[in-house]
Amino acid sequence: MFDIVIVGGGHAGIEAAYIASQFNGLKVGIVTLKGVPLASAPCNPSIGGVGKGQVVRELDILGGLTGKLADLAGIQFRTLNESKGYAVQSTRVQIDKIKYAKFAEEIINDIDNITVIREKALELAGLDGNYSIRTESSTWNTRKVIFTVGTFLNGKMHTGSVQTEGGREQCESSKSLSEYFSSIDTVSARFKTGTPARLDKNSINYDKLEIQPSDDSVESFHALHSPDFRNLNQVSCYLTYTNDNTMNIIRDNKEKSPMFNGQIKGVGARYCPSIEDKAYRYPDKNKHHVFIEPESEELDTMYPSGISTSLPLDVQLKMVHSIEGLENAEILVPGYAVEYDVIDTTKLSRALEHQDFPGIYFAGQVNGTSGYEEAAGQGYIAGVNAALKLLEREPLVLDRSESYIGVMIEDLVSNLRDEPYRLFTARSENRLYNREDNTVIRMWSYRTKLGLNKDLDRYLEGFKLTYEVLESKLASTYLHPNDKFLGMHNIDVPRRTTIADILKMTTIDPVLTLKNYLEYAGFRIDKRIIKTLAISIKYAGYITKSDDQYKKLNKLDNKQIVVEKLLDSENISFECKQRIEKIRPENFGQLKRIDGIRPATLAVVAGDNY
Amino acid sequence: MTYLADNSPIIACSTGLTSNTAIGVIRLSGNNVLDLVSEVISIEIHKIKPRYAYFCKIIYKNFVYDEVIFTFFKGPNSYNGEDIIELAVHGNQLNISRIISLFVDHCGFRKALPGEFTQRALKNKKLSMSQVEGLDLLLNASNIFSLDQGFSLLGGDLQEDFNKLYDCFLRHKSSLELGFDFLDDVGEEQFSALFSSSLSELSNCINSLYNRVKNRGDKLIKPDIAIYGLPNAGKSSFFNAILNSNRAIVSNIAGTTRDYLSEDIFIENNIFSLIDTAGLRVTDDVIEHSGIELAKKKIDLSFYSILIVNPFDESFDEDFVSSLSKIDLVLFTHSDIDGFNSSKQRCIGLLKDFSKISGPIEPQNAGPIEPQSTGPIEPQSTGPIEPQSAGPIEPHNVVIIDIDLTRVNESSIEDVKKSINSKYLKLLSFNPILIDRHRDTLIRIYSNFNDYKRLASTQSDMAIISSELNIVGHCISELIGIISPDDVLQNIFSNFCIGK
Repeated sequence: MFDIVIVGGGHAGIEAAYIASQFNGLKVGIVTLKGVPLASAPCNPSIGGVGKGQVVRELDILGGLTGKLADLAGIQFRTLNESKGYAVQSTRVQIDKIKYAKFAEEIINDIDNITVIREKALELAGLDGNYSIRTESSTWNTRKVIFTVGTFLNGKMHTGSVQTEGGREQCESSKSLSEYFSSIDTVSARFKTGTPARLDKNSINYDKLEIQPSDDSVESFHALHSPDFRNLNQVSCYLTYTNDNTMNIIRDNKEKSPMFNGQIKGVGARYCPSIEDKAYRYPDKNKHHVFIEPESEELDTMYPSGISTSLPLDVQLKMVHSIEGLENAEILVPGYAVEYDVIDTTKLSRALEHQDFPGIYFAGQVNGTSGYEEAAGQGYIAGVNAALKLLEREPLVLDRSESYIGVMIEDLVSNLRDEPYRLFTARSENRLYNREDNTVIRMWSYRTKLGLNKDLDRYLEGFKLTYEVLESKLASTYLHPNDKFLGMHNIDVPRRTTIADILKMTTIDPVLTLKNYLEYAGFRIDKRIIKTLAISIKYAGYITKSDDQYKKLNKLDNKQIVVEKLLDSENISFECKQRIEKIRPENFGQLKRIDGIRPATLAVVAGDNY
Repeated sequence: MTYLADNSPIIACSTGLTSNTAIGVIRLSGNNVLDLVSEVISIEIHKIKPRYAYFCKIIYKNFVYDEVIFTFFKGPNSYNGEDIIELAVHGNQLNISRIISLFVDHCGFRKALPGEFTQRALKNKKLSMSQVEGLDLLLNASNIFSLDQGFSLLGGDLQEDFNKLYDCFLRHKSSLELGFDFLDDVGEEQFSALFSSSLSELSNCINSLYNRVKNRGDKLIKPDIAIYGLPNAGKSSFFNAILNSNRAIVSNIAGTTRDYLSEDIFIENNIFSLIDTAGLRVTDDVIEHSGIELAKKKIDLSFYSILIVNPFDESFDEDFVSSLSKIDLVLFTHSDIDGFNSSKQRCIGLLKDFSKISGPIEPQNAGPIEPQSTGPIEPQSTGPIEPQSAGPIEPHNVVIIDIDLTRVNESSIEDVKKSINSKYLKLLSFNPILIDRHRDTLIRIYSNFNDYKRLASTQSDMAIISSELNIVGHCISELIGIISPDDVLQNIFSNFCIGK
């Protein structure tokens, strides 16, 4: 008898298993397809990115696995948006996807209370507390089930007119899953995603490409790794561009694109367009970025980011050859698009448990998200909450005001998605606070409250203690205008200036200045703590200001509402009622965030006029 | 707001509580109000038909409080959707308050809070939010113009302009976000182009709305006309002449008017407040001095200022002229006396530079006439801002009129009125926004937006820039009334008089 069985061994699945296994005594199983490695990366070979880097760091502090794996398999580290301000800076790590999966296998296999079952799941029966999952050769009993089945729910792949059943290239379909999902509400529209052709790395003329080297100064993800931790040799990525010729080839073959000739009916994400989308929707723009990213030392393939396509192979080849540096490139794996079903996430609780099927949790792409990081974040939430429920403890719900994972979960459960969901920094109302650098401060209490008492928890407690002591010290240490330190760095200050005041000055780099000062004053402090503190001090005033505004504006957010009363009201439109009935918001803030709720409805509810 | 959820029956006097009148109207509103009052009225309630007037007595314990006209309006066909009783009682204030107390003490009514009748109308969907605001303006309208705006607001015109502002804001906000989350797709170049074009678009939009509030549009509801000048120049005589009454105390003792006097005056259907101020001079008299200070303030705040000059008064000199801040019209008195013209020319000589520095209203502002100063984008051709090139902000000619205050010539008075009205009409052409809430919010938007622009040009941290832009966004959503309806409601209702 398992406590928790996870169906699916992708990024969501292994996070769910990894956190659940940290609760001593829980027996965790992962049911996953034969021949597919754990945590494989079927699309872009990178972890992190804008908004997503924050998720990876949040997961890491909460005791997740993704950050650690990215560090181990990382072959290039970069900081995105470096010039735009700390709050929107994010780490992105290119990974060796083969090694990434190997490290995942190693770590999971080393954990005694996780069993990996490499069989296809066929049937689910039973009730909360006593489910049974039938696979090809056996039946497994479990108290809770987490589905992290990705694009395998009725998955169908398209390359030109060739269609294959399945959620991923060269993988068995899990069509039978869909049958026992038939009683679970799915979103009426199918979703679509795609991936570009993989190119032979020996057939590319690198001399013609712009080189993008790794940045040694970027901090690794995992809190228990040193900030400059690098496990593998660091390599470069390359940049080239599409041109008039490329885009015209695509436009000339419009009728062959499954996406535009009606063969694919699924909805793709507007933010992650295929090259066909770019060609047809933006007829005036022909120069688009194409990033050439290595997939693995052990593979001959390069990943050309930016030209995802489902055109027939001969058109793909012609298009690739039109691009500078790729004139003689060979395609080893053609690009394809995949259509799949997603479940109706508005039926999930904030713990990601299905409200109609207690004891069953959903996480990852099956919930309509895109991205490994989004999947991993949900996997963690489903895993930790399944475990907490078994132990009869309070669920872990992250607040949207202090984490990107919290933003994502609330967005998912409060709105029906009509396109794949990805995190952006713009989705967070509290962006100045939800930064990468202060993840420990934001996530610390959530993690330590779990009481898992691992090395991580001790590290976090030490971090927090040093941070707080130093913070109050800096706010109370005054520097004399003639202080040698100020002279050394050409800083002019009036009398009665604290170190904290200096860090707030717009003319200085707060991180560097604090580092210099602490060295000057003879303190030896963890580089990460210095960074967190310096940026927190610099931002404090702006955060308070924005917080005050937000609070003033959203003081109604906690106002409780009675859904039944709303549904009976004559003052609320039919469309709004339909949405309200589905999502059943508990308070005004949740109501406000439902797409398509009219201002008139809000006014009516705010004034209790319903 | 505490009474939002409270449905208890309420009572209030609808005709004001300050003076005795022939008739006072008391309104009672709530559910089943007839049952509640059955014990204290002399008619049987089952005989009462809605919308019929009944003569009856209010009696409690055999004591007749008053004889009244009783009218019943059955909800939902009433002003606010509830059952309403209107009592026309004798309008003595003591009588009214005694009757109200009777209903409060013995019939279960409570005194209504300010605006509560209308708040219930809103609640029962008898009026919409913007209708309530429009109604507020309507009921307080003292001239044709605000009546018009009241009506147009009831139709939602202003809302459209505000929605346009919101769209501009969204476009700019989106351009900024594009630079964070989608830089791989758009590239730095396109981001900067979008950012600056949407910034100037938003800037134009905010400036154009601001131009409609900065000219003291509030003053256009019964604007002040200040009469001022040296002591004993004849200000009060003119005040009386134009009012055609003897409101001001007139004497030949300089400094007679120490406080200011004000009277309403109708000019071409619009109502103005005509203010007679204390004569301006240096004085040791404490009371007179404070009167002068008050006068100066009144002049500064006035919509139209009339300088009265006795050309024979030698104290009308350079020093005096240099202390003046604004003049719309100079009235030279004593036109009947010999040597008037030469004395007048001396005074005009002293005033000759005045038209250049004088704008009638807030002359320090560069004014709504110029094309929007910021941004490379063309000034909006459709905007309400530049309808007339010869606006009042341009250096204007001070109007000069001669008058003999001992035998006032009707045509001189008409000339003065004409000049006042023409300035008024010019100001109206800017389509000013009159509702206080809108004015206050637009002024805040304008000032926050300027802070934002300043920050955006000095701060390199785009995340901070974006956060500051949210502050502008919050103000904009307040204006549109989406986000904090409770604040808006509270504000409106507290500006309502009881029992309207």
